[in-house]
Amino acid sequence: MLPPLCASDLLFGFLCSSSLISLGFLRKREREREERMTMFHFFNCAILTFGPHAVYYSATPLSEYDTLGTSVKAALVYLGTALVKLVCLATFLKVSENDSFDPYQELLKALIGFIDVAGLYFALTQLTHRNISQNHKFQAVGLGWAFADSVLHRLAPLWVGARGLEFTWDYMLQGIEANANLVLSISLAALGSLMWLRKNKPRTLIPIIYACAGIVATMPSITSYLRRSLGWHFPEVVGFELFTSLVMAFISWQLFAACQRPSS
Amino acid sequence: MAPRKAGERDMLESFYSIIALVFILVACVELCDAATVVDVYRLIQYDISGVPFGSRLAALNHHAGSLHFAPGADLSRTVVIIPVRELNMSFVKEYIVQRQPLGGLLFLLPQMFNFDNRDGMGIYHQNHGKELLHNVMVELEQLLIHANIPYPVYFAFEDSDIDAVLADINKNDAIGQPATATTGGFKFVVSAPEPKKLASPTITNIQGWLPGLKTDGDASQLPTIAIVASYDTFGAAPALSVGSDSNGSGIVALLEIARLFSLLYSNPKTRGRYNLLFGLTSGGPYNYNGTQKWLRSLDQRLRESIDYAICLNSIGSWDNELWIHVSKPPENAYIKQIFEGFSNVAEELGFKVGLKHKKINISNPRVAWEHEQFSRLRVTAATLSELFTAPELMERTGGFVDSRHFVNETAIIRSIKLVAESLARHVYGHQGKNIQIFSDKSSLAVNPSYIQLWLDLLSRTPRVAPFLSKNDPLVMALKKELEDHTNEVNVQHELLDGMFTFYDLTKARLNIYQVASVTFDLLLLLVLGSYLIVLFSFLVITTRGLDELFSLFRRPPSRKVKTA
Repeated sequence: MLPPLCASDLLFGFLCSSSLISLGFLRKREREREERMTMFHFFNCAILTFGPHAVYYSATPLSEYDTLGTSVKAALVYLGTALVKLVCLATFLKVSENDSFDPYQELLKALIGFIDVAGLYFALTQLTHRNISQNHKFQAVGLGWAFADSVLHRLAPLWVGARGLEFTWDYMLQGIEANANLVLSISLAALGSLMWLRKNKPRTLIPIIYACAGIVATMPSITSYLRRSLGWHFPEVVGFELFTSLVMAFISWQLFAACQRPSS
Repeated sequence: MAPRKAGERDMLESFYSIIALVFILVACVELCDAATVVDVYRLIQYDISGVPFGSRLAALNHHAGSLHFAPGADLSRTVVIIPVRELNMSFVKEYIVQRQPLGGLLFLLPQMFNFDNRDGMGIYHQNHGKELLHNVMVELEQLLIHANIPYPVYFAFEDSDIDAVLADINKNDAIGQPATATTGGFKFVVSAPEPKKLASPTITNIQGWLPGLKTDGDASQLPTIAIVASYDTFGAAPALSVGSDSNGSGIVALLEIARLFSLLYSNPKTRGRYNLLFGLTSGGPYNYNGTQKWLRSLDQRLRESIDYAICLNSIGSWDNELWIHVSKPPENAYIKQIFEGFSNVAEELGFKVGLKHKKINISNPRVAWEHEQFSRLRVTAATLSELFTAPELMERTGGFVDSRHFVNETAIIRSIKLVAESLARHVYGHQGKNIQIFSDKSSLAVNPSYIQLWLDLLSRTPRVAPFLSKNDPLVMALKKELEDHTNEVNVQHELLDGMFTFYDLTKARLNIYQVASVTFDLLLLLVLGSYLIVLFSFLVITTRGLDELFSLFRRPPSRKVKTA
């Protein structure tokens, strides 16, 4: 059995080595016991945010079939999608003075959010993958997608904020959110592969598949509605995300299993 | 296919290099996310002939504690935060005088003493509470100035942020241990460089000259009368030493007298036959070093023409008695004449003036009153002051206790009337006659708004001489004011006596962080580690089956079994 942790080892080693390199850039007077302690908290939050991705890769058969290439390609597609979304948001969205929930703006944001779905479609269908089964393809794509999302949105705040002396729970909550996001991305990728890659699906299940995909795709709008309009705080929003992601994962697993039965 | 693969590999490499670049860039970001940032003022650090005094350190990076610590606890890595209202002098004496190890001290002063706080000015709290606080603070200041403290000592003003922090610290200490992980404690951080010696501190003397009326027949020089006040202060917190009474009241009085006499002297018909010399001297707390240097620099003939000099020192908070301090014996004719003039005017104005004699000891370098510097050069001089006893070195030099609240404008106005009338009667030869030159309804009345304006300004300006540069705004303002009232103004820059050495860094910013304890971090690591292990096992079991999980523990795996 090939050591399954080779790819995740690489990732971890890269993270740790870059942290150590950047330690060398810190000025002399900050090299105290306290500095090591604040790096400790950063390390804790980092393993909560990025650990599950590595664990997922190594624990499931993905590592055996060496699907790292697929994940990396999916991550790149995510970065491209994020860029396109940024440009669209900058062009079409007006900057609002207050923090209230404007339905028209939110609708626009949701529409732009569907570019995500388009990106996922591109990653699932257009990229040439080696001979991997559909089962593993959607997992690899979902994993790469979620990892790129975490790195883009959570790494910089973590690096700048978690190393400070001041302690807040924010970064732990962000890590839990990253976990929920991973589950959601994989479920979305599963539903996406069901929609676009599987040709013969039971008739009755098709609307359910599309409905679930729609819910998962509009999760960002739902969370922003909760935060702005209903005034929920960060811990409550993260709890909601976690709960929904588990529910959605369960539903998409059942749907996937149901669609798998007739073809086999 | 192959060129496409090469392109993909290039893309991957550039991707990784971009990530590395981002890491390196972000590493240089300065961390500055404290919960609270407070302005703090450092205790003064100075040497007298090489003997160190004051707080010798500036940088601070320790946990905070309050006065409610367990007895016998080790405080060498703790900053103790003490509100002055609840000051326990025995604790302070024990730790400072007996040189017990401590991480640092932070004193919280009531907002009343904050000269920046506009609302605080003019609010008079209960009188007896103020008195008690005043005495405690005077004692504290004297203790701190004369001690050699090997850790940082800072002063801050009470406000809502720091009061909340103090309440939390008190609560934690009362429980006996730092509380839960999230309220593990507070860390006080002041990032400051090592304090450096101030190279060649300058003291600046400002003199104004109002010449008298010289008729054609006068061959010799007209006699001169000098009015002198020292304008600098010294205190435990140099950034807070505004010295409203010592000697803000003296400066204000001198400026007002200069203004009144400039009105009189502007018209040749009312110009007196005496020259008037106004001197604003620096270096007062350091044995009137500046006065000595100023007198030595004066032309000898001018010095010999001085009939007498009046020095003003702390005339802002007295009720009905002032003192004239002299060094020549009271039987001396000149002294008698001066004293009679003053006491007559005082009687008319409704208060008493007493005479006090203190002999000078030439061998003792200590100069308690400003007039002693004149007397050492054989010029007749006296100091007008509300103080009965001569202050010791570094005592009553305008520290943070000496704030605007303790100064009474009416007292200053009465002192000005006393000096101006006595001077005028001497200059115009009206001794003994009951004439009021500066009466209240005339154009020569003492101007209360002028006094209030200057007193307010001086009560907001810290004036410790080594920290005043040559072109300091206050020095320039005083010079300009004297230029308005007198004919000729000279500014003299001197070096402070080498016996005194000062160190810089008087203000800093204190960052207060709320930190979690190490055990919390370890606990979190444990929890996260077990979460990841559980996740790993769960995924292995669901995707590959339970057997796979057990096979992972049978290392090394036999390859033969797999390939077969």
